[in-house]
Amino acid sequence: MNTFTSLITLLIFPAGLSLVLVGMFYEWVDRKLVARFQNRVGPRWFQPFADALKLFAKEQIRPAIVNPYLFFGLPVAALAGALTAALYVPLMGLSPASSFPGDLIVTIYLLSLPTMCVGLAGWNTSGRFSLIGATRTLTQLFAYEAPFLLAMLGPALVAGSWQINTINRFTQDHWLILTQPVGFIVALIGLMGKLELPPFDAPEAETEIVAGALTEYSGRGLAMFKISRSVELIIGLSLVSSFYLGGLNGIPSFLFKSLALLLVMSVLQVLLTRLRIDQTVGLWWRFGAILVLAQLLVMILWKGLAL
Amino acid sequence: MNIEQLLAQAEQLLAPWNKETIHPESNRLDVVIIADDLRAAVNALHDAHWGYLSAITGLDLGPASAQMEALYHFCSGLAITSLRVRLPHDNASLPSIADILPPASFFEREMQEMLGFKFSGLNISERLFLPDDWPEDVYPMRANFTLDQAAPVAGRHADELPEQGVVGGNTFVIPIGPQHPALKEPGHFEFTVDGEIVTAARMRLGYAHRGIEKAAESRNWIQNLYLFERVCGICSHTHALAYSLGVEKLAQVEAPPRAQAIRELVAGLERVHSHLLWLGVAAHEAGFDTLFMYSWRDRETVMNLLEQITGNRVNYSANLLGGVKCDIGPEQAKAIKEGLNYLETRIRHYLEVVTTDVMFLNRTRGIGTISYDEAVKFGLLGPTARASGLVRDVRVEAPYGAYTHFPVSAVTETNGDLEARCEVRLKELLVSCFTMRTIVDNLPEGPLTVRMPRKIPAGETVSRIEAPRGELFYFIKSNGGETPARVHIRTPSLCNWVSVLEKAVGRQLADIPMLIAGMDPCFSCNDRVVTLKRPGSNENWSWKQLREYGIEYYKR
Amino acid sequence: MNSIWAVHFNSGSCNGCDIEILATLTPRYDVERFGIKLQGSPRHADVLIVTGPVTRQARERLIRTYEQMPEPKFVISVGSCSISGGVFEGCYNCVGSVDAVIPVDVFIPGCPPRPEAIIDGIVQLLTELKGGKARTPQKQNIAEEIST
Repeated sequence: MNTFTSLITLLIFPAGLSLVLVGMFYEWVDRKLVARFQNRVGPRWFQPFADALKLFAKEQIRPAIVNPYLFFGLPVAALAGALTAALYVPLMGLSPASSFPGDLIVTIYLLSLPTMCVGLAGWNTSGRFSLIGATRTLTQLFAYEAPFLLAMLGPALVAGSWQINTINRFTQDHWLILTQPVGFIVALIGLMGKLELPPFDAPEAETEIVAGALTEYSGRGLAMFKISRSVELIIGLSLVSSFYLGGLNGIPSFLFKSLALLLVMSVLQVLLTRLRIDQTVGLWWRFGAILVLAQLLVMILWKGLAL
Repeated sequence: MNIEQLLAQAEQLLAPWNKETIHPESNRLDVVIIADDLRAAVNALHDAHWGYLSAITGLDLGPASAQMEALYHFCSGLAITSLRVRLPHDNASLPSIADILPPASFFEREMQEMLGFKFSGLNISERLFLPDDWPEDVYPMRANFTLDQAAPVAGRHADELPEQGVVGGNTFVIPIGPQHPALKEPGHFEFTVDGEIVTAARMRLGYAHRGIEKAAESRNWIQNLYLFERVCGICSHTHALAYSLGVEKLAQVEAPPRAQAIRELVAGLERVHSHLLWLGVAAHEAGFDTLFMYSWRDRETVMNLLEQITGNRVNYSANLLGGVKCDIGPEQAKAIKEGLNYLETRIRHYLEVVTTDVMFLNRTRGIGTISYDEAVKFGLLGPTARASGLVRDVRVEAPYGAYTHFPVSAVTETNGDLEARCEVRLKELLVSCFTMRTIVDNLPEGPLTVRMPRKIPAGETVSRIEAPRGELFYFIKSNGGETPARVHIRTPSLCNWVSVLEKAVGRQLADIPMLIAGMDPCFSCNDRVVTLKRPGSNENWSWKQLREYGIEYYKR
Repeated sequence: MNSIWAVHFNSGSCNGCDIEILATLTPRYDVERFGIKLQGSPRHADVLIVTGPVTRQARERLIRTYEQMPEPKFVISVGSCSISGGVFEGCYNCVGSVDAVIPVDVFIPGCPPRPEAIIDGIVQLLTELKGGKARTPQKQNIAEEIST
């Protein structure tokens, strides 16, 4: 019985299938918002589902020179990584499916897995656009990962725990966006970098390198990478809103807070011009990392003085 | 200096080599020289800073004479001086002047390929614009060319470019085009990148080479009007206009003032549509899709106006030989004014965006800077030149048609970077809007067309007009028949390529699409006769070679 | 078939059709509301939109682009030149129509066709597909049927 429940939890709800569906819904919201800001009508509500279904039905072309195991395995690994990360996060405001001390670190690393897979996939296909795309994806990973981690560290420090669930409970009475605004901004922008949304879309800059690391992917593989990205979007939104926006304690609060975050993100996407990869790295290390570090320092001192 | 003084000065400069002087038209001077004196004559004009080399036209005088002619057109304001060199078919060798005037290398390669001229000192034997499976020693612009001569050579491909992948270590060759999201038109570039930095650039065009100049010789004068309109779908009006003006000059007919004014009006609207299109594409290249969407939304206003006036959104066919086919009534005048009011506020807004948006400036300010001297040296034209402070605007330098009654002022910037090119184009639109409003308010009364003869009297003429991208040059020759004997087109994009290739090396890969967009290339225009690869000793010019070349150049 | 990803290939056109295709993406026409997206990589595309008379040099590239697309795939030929060669009929560097080179499913005439016409052409392709789906479950066959 217990196994059965875990299976349901894992595959259907709240992780697994429902997560994928919600992820696609959020992707639609994002596309629709961007389209409305650009004065367009935008896609219909089922567009991401239709796209994914179509991709699954299409032929998957494998370039002759690639390693077939990696070529077919990487999309699965990316999706699996993203879905596993979902287990530790208070998705849709419900308490996480699984929780243990230190799961924050695990989640953040699992969240990087899809990006790593994209990078590897690009390297494996060894097309010219894919290679440049892979290099850029990994460069960007190194740029935003540390500041993003530090931004997640802030709330953990205040809550005095490495467990997402505990932090979530703590933040329900503390709106950390008010006390740690820098951390919030860095986390939000770090999330955009993670998802390669404009202006951090240099790794898949259409006008330079076609579709970056995924140029050679078609059909199922492409669909899986796309789905893992929308799952990442949900997880990221949940993490940031639970840490900084007063925690998540139910489906309404999840919907309200994450959609508000998404709105802010789409405004940023619409307003900003793509950064070159060197500008992205510069931005993170020159401003992002230092600001967060400064904030951490202040917090540690504050804590020390308070004691 | 007026035209007579300019021409007299040119005649005096060229006196030592002058074999025969012809005055084909009031503003033109033809000086016949022999091939050996060419370099000396070109040097004389160049050292005296007499105008700039606008185009080189190759002519086949027909099988009867077995001779060809090369015409080097130098333009200074309204005055045009042409150096005319006559050569026999079987030994058409000329010295290359590409080391004196860099833009000449493009023109020379075109002649080498199309007519079989040989240029000593050019040292490029590769295919230029014809497919690589084109047979040797077959020249499409020769008079005796027939289609069956052009059968593909067995065992060769149409484009035999070495397709290298990873060169080694961090160095890749990134191909851009012919099918590539950054280019909505076909062209092929290869950028060798070391990590993210571009170390070499080369290009190959010709994917849109259709052979329009040859086709023109087998179509009658009126059919050609519609053919030339389709050289380029973006600046179709200017192509048809340049052709009409040339043919009218040959027939010694002048379009009525009302027609001239309407032509300028449509050209103005076309400039607005073209520049807004460009702004959108440039923004898209930079990854700023919102600006792309907005500028294209506003561009629809112009498209509506063009449709209301001419009946078509693209390829409007407003011109006729001897006039225009559409009139501006009170209803259209009202619509145009309303449209212009709206557009003006929008253009002001975009001007503010491109000069103040920090993120966009990150991608434009200080990138691809071309100094005034470089602009002169490379023979840049149009907004690309004007952004470097070089006034190259036929509307101002050599007003044609209604521009004498409704003049425009040249807009220049001095920085020469991508930001300056954005600014020049947008400010130019404000000037255009102002002029268009004046035209609508003061439209001359009168008929729309005059009668044109079916056969055009024999003669040669040069027609230069300012297309949205720069000076458009038409050379038209008639033998007195129902079809033209030769039409030679030199489009502005051809002269501006060098701004991309020179500036690409050493830049980030991410800047390349912006650089290409910065000159607003038009492959269709370009390819109607010309295709080129990066000129150089063998295949690429290395940066070192380029520098040495530049240093050599400036020593003189 | 509610999601159409297209890739655009210019095989020697005058740009007229190309700018009208781009115009379909912009606010006034916005084809994203029909699920139509312009993609960069032929690997991601379902529909190849070809404009212009096929020039000798573009011919091989066109075939290569077509072959890079995953099945099922469709071809839309936009503009008079791509249908018959148009004004460029008989030019020495033009091969002629697109369907002489690759199989075409939909022809959209016009010089250039209006954006509305282009959208209508794509919609007609979709209707054909929906109608054909009942007859033969395999989409590849439909592509062949339409093209013959």
